Amino acid sequence: MIVEKLSKTFGSGELKVDALKNVSFSISKGEFICIVGPSGSGKSTLLNLLGGLDKAKHGKVYIDGKDVLTMQERHLSVFRRRSIGFIFQAYNLVPELNVEENIILPLLLDYKKPDNQYIDELLKILGLSERKHHLPSQLSGGQQQRVAIGRALATRPALILADEPTGNLDTKNSMDVINLLKLCVDRYKQTLIMITHNRNFASFADRVLYVADGVLTEVGGAVL
Amino acid sequence: MISYLSLASKYFSAHKKKARLTVISVAISVALITGIFSMMDAFLKFEKIQVIHDFGNYHLAVVEATDNEIAAIGSHTDVQNSGIWISFRNGSLYGRAVKLGALDKEFAANMNITVVEGKYPAAENEIMLEQWAMDNFQQHLKIGDTVKIYFAGSNEKEFIISGIYNDLGNTKALGTPGIFLSTAGAEKINVEKSRLYLIEFKRGVNIRNAEKEIKRELKISDDRIGHNDRLLAVMGQSNHEAALGFYRIGAVLFFMVLTAGVVMIYNTFNMSVMDRVRHFGLLRCIGASQEQIKKLVIQEGIYITLRAIPIGILAGILVTFLCSAILKFYNHSLFGEMQLFRVSIIGVGAGIVVGLLNVFIAAFLPAKKAANVSPVNAVSGGTEVKMSQKKKLGLLVKAFPVETAIGMNNAVMKKKMLLLMASSIAISVILFLSFQVFVDFLHTTMKTTKPYTPDITLTSEQGIKREVYQILSDLDGTKKVYGRMLGFIDAAFDAKRLTDLYVETVGGIAINKNGTFDPPEKSWLISYDNNQFNWAKADLIDGKLSEEKLNEQNGVIAVREQLRNNVSTETANLRLGDKVYFNTPNGEREMTVMGILRSIPFSSSELTMTSFITTEKLFTELIGESSYKAVDIQLDRDRQAQTMSRIKSILNSSILIRDARQKNAETNQAFFTMALFIYGFISIIALISVLNIINTMSTSVASKTRYLGVMRAIGMSDEQLDRMVLVEAATYSLLGGIAGSIIGVALQKLLVIKWLSHFHIVWRFPFAQIGLILMIILIVTVVSVIGPLKRIKSQSVSDVIRSL
Repeated sequence: MIVEKLSKTFGSGELKVDALKNVSFSISKGEFICIVGPSGSGKSTLLNLLGGLDKAKHGKVYIDGKDVLTMQERHLSVFRRRSIGFIFQAYNLVPELNVEENIILPLLLDYKKPDNQYIDELLKILGLSERKHHLPSQLSGGQQQRVAIGRALATRPALILADEPTGNLDTKNSMDVINLLKLCVDRYKQTLIMITHNRNFASFADRVLYVADGVLTEVGGAVL
Repeated sequence: MISYLSLASKYFSAHKKKARLTVISVAISVALITGIFSMMDAFLKFEKIQVIHDFGNYHLAVVEATDNEIAAIGSHTDVQNSGIWISFRNGSLYGRAVKLGALDKEFAANMNITVVEGKYPAAENEIMLEQWAMDNFQQHLKIGDTVKIYFAGSNEKEFIISGIYNDLGNTKALGTPGIFLSTAGAEKINVEKSRLYLIEFKRGVNIRNAEKEIKRELKISDDRIGHNDRLLAVMGQSNHEAALGFYRIGAVLFFMVLTAGVVMIYNTFNMSVMDRVRHFGLLRCIGASQEQIKKLVIQEGIYITLRAIPIGILAGILVTFLCSAILKFYNHSLFGEMQLFRVSIIGVGAGIVVGLLNVFIAAFLPAKKAANVSPVNAVSGGTEVKMSQKKKLGLLVKAFPVETAIGMNNAVMKKKMLLLMASSIAISVILFLSFQVFVDFLHTTMKTTKPYTPDITLTSEQGIKREVYQILSDLDGTKKVYGRMLGFIDAAFDAKRLTDLYVETVGGIAINKNGTFDPPEKSWLISYDNNQFNWAKADLIDGKLSEEKLNEQNGVIAVREQLRNNVSTETANLRLGDKVYFNTPNGEREMTVMGILRSIPFSSSELTMTSFITTEKLFTELIGESSYKAVDIQLDRDRQAQTMSRIKSILNSSILIRDARQKNAETNQAFFTMALFIYGFISIIALISVLNIINTMSTSVASKTRYLGVMRAIGMSDEQLDRMVLVEAATYSLLGGIAGSIIGVALQKLLVIKWLSHFHIVWRFPFAQIGLILMIILIVTVVSVIGPLKRIKSQSVSDVIRSL
């Protein structure tokens, strides 16, 4: 993945805010990247742009050689559903669907038959085998976030984008989620980009990127 | 779960309440359309029977048709039945005026003539009489009797009574018996008569085209063709200007019903979508394409519609069934053969088609909107409503308590929501106001019996003596007996009171020194008794109606509207206290105007300048006569036949009995047939409007559950919450109500002026209607908000916030 001179501004005139300024970096396959920085620094904006959720006027985001920003919406949603898995701080599960249904939803959107063996395996790793028929409202926060991870992994995407996945969780659940993420990424050889406030979790990462006032700097290798 | 599309049904089974509201709202629209169209269908069927009963089953009449024309038309492929109707100008039997005519036997059923006894006249010297007439002459008549009929302008001729036919309301009420000759006999009688050739076309024939064809082939000019306009009008085949106006109004109104249906359903779906921006954003995040979101929303639409359509259609059919049942029960003799449970294909079809069409129109736009939801909305929890930059709240807070200000602000700032809610209410109001046009139409064109309508009227040129009146009043079986003395008298007053129109009509008047004038025409003087004064109160514009006061102060009552040549006009504009000078046999007498009536329920046979009403005592003093010209009788409900024969035995032959009972009943039935459907339309629309408001308001409050929870969390009290929501809801309804009233009134005026002027309907600004509408809307709004509010308040704050 290559990001070139990415800029994003919100509003106009006096209200103009530069969320990202000329951000460039590259990530290789299988890397675990942490993005850190104060709130409002532009971390989430960057992640949204990487996932093709948002559009930017300047700059390029290449994933597997394709520019996500210039992609047509039609192709973009297909690309998103196949190549990217999202994990949010607020879980964002579909409240009307049970655990299993939430996880296979991206597959259904892709008109694919879920691979039951793989889904069962996922549920087992996530520790949700017993609860696959529960609704999100019947689960704890940590369990809900694990469902969200399951959903992100369901299509075996090459890239996982996680926006403060542990933001709503206590220390123990947070550790579980991080370990799980790391495990899955290693197991399925996926690239993981995660925003976090917790410096401790950054220690798991291969590289740490620091964003402040829309400017990105590389902390450089693992923080020791 | 096999497909992502099952998300639609999962969503609704998880949100039963929301699903129910949406289903109800669509069902309401479908019920509206099915109900109105089915009722229209039924209405035309009932009205057709009614019109055929009242006016006869013919479509076209050719005046003075030649034998050649008759032969050609009679064998025309489009013609079902035809017959000749001959009517004579004047005639009498035993000195009594009678209505003489002849009708082809084959066409008798079409004109509702049925032989009750004996046989239809066939030979040249055979006749049949109306049933009631048989014992209405000097001697009782029976079949086989020979009678002498006198034709105006000819000699007497002898006939044999061969049969008796059914009573007709009109001739009975006029007191002129009907007599039918055989057509062969009628042709032989060489006096002035008119010949109409009546034509009934086959079912499904395009009558306009058939008429043109006949006219062209036989070279019949337009002035020789008559139409049964009422029948053609209900069949949708009339060319008459009045009927065309009516069709146009119908088209406009039914188009509006369709629009209302679409708008209501569109609003429902739109609200459901706007509610879930985040939900759709999330699906987009995990890879749903715009196309898929669109499909999902349309799937939701289908899910809702499939449940709503049957409910709506059932409700619509039920209403129509109710109307049909009432009519059938009320007028069994006329509508007895109508099927009670008839499913109107037009109504149900319209309901289904519109229902389904709506899914595509009404669900497609919101679906597009949902598809355009940016995925960022889900991750950033983005604001669902774009607030305008202007800070209106500041001003409002200064003027109102904070919760009122927020309520108003919420309503006004969310422009889209405001548009949805207000338009939904406005369209109901517009529908209601425009359907009111039909009510005006009903009351202007159809008459119904009033408390003063008599069952029987006795008239006599020589006058009916007071003693006879007294006997009749005391008679067992008469409920009310009231006589009228009628006379013509010269009356003068301040010339300025005469209208310009009248002065112009009579070609100018001569004004005297004292400001009065020489009356160009006599005025009509009528006497009332206490009963009649009481009934007249409904038409009183000004002053008082008291027999005593009038006697004490030499009073008369002026009548504003005069019937001149069958047109209602105002000839004089008299006011209370005006002096009127009557030219009596004992010299001039000054009287004072003490009351003004809008109109009176009868008209003079002669042209008069104006009409005055006074007491019997004063009438005798003014005219010098004390016998009644007319005596009206209302009978007790029971044993009317006995009472009738007793009345007959009291009266001498100079007194003519006009029995209006059958005609009154028929008038009432005709009115009722139309009134039932017209008020049916209005009540459906009113009911649907109310349901629509309730549903929209509940949906709107339910969709704000989270917002209201947050407000409570930051310290808003229950009372403040109530006030805030009520103010917001009231803002929606008032804006909608006002907008609807403005458009509705404009449309009402347009419809009346443009297309109903033919019926002399005068448009007036509907102050009362609008007041009522706004009041009802507000009440319904308050009532519909209370329920959902209560539910929200009973939940704990944390539950509400967490649940979304």
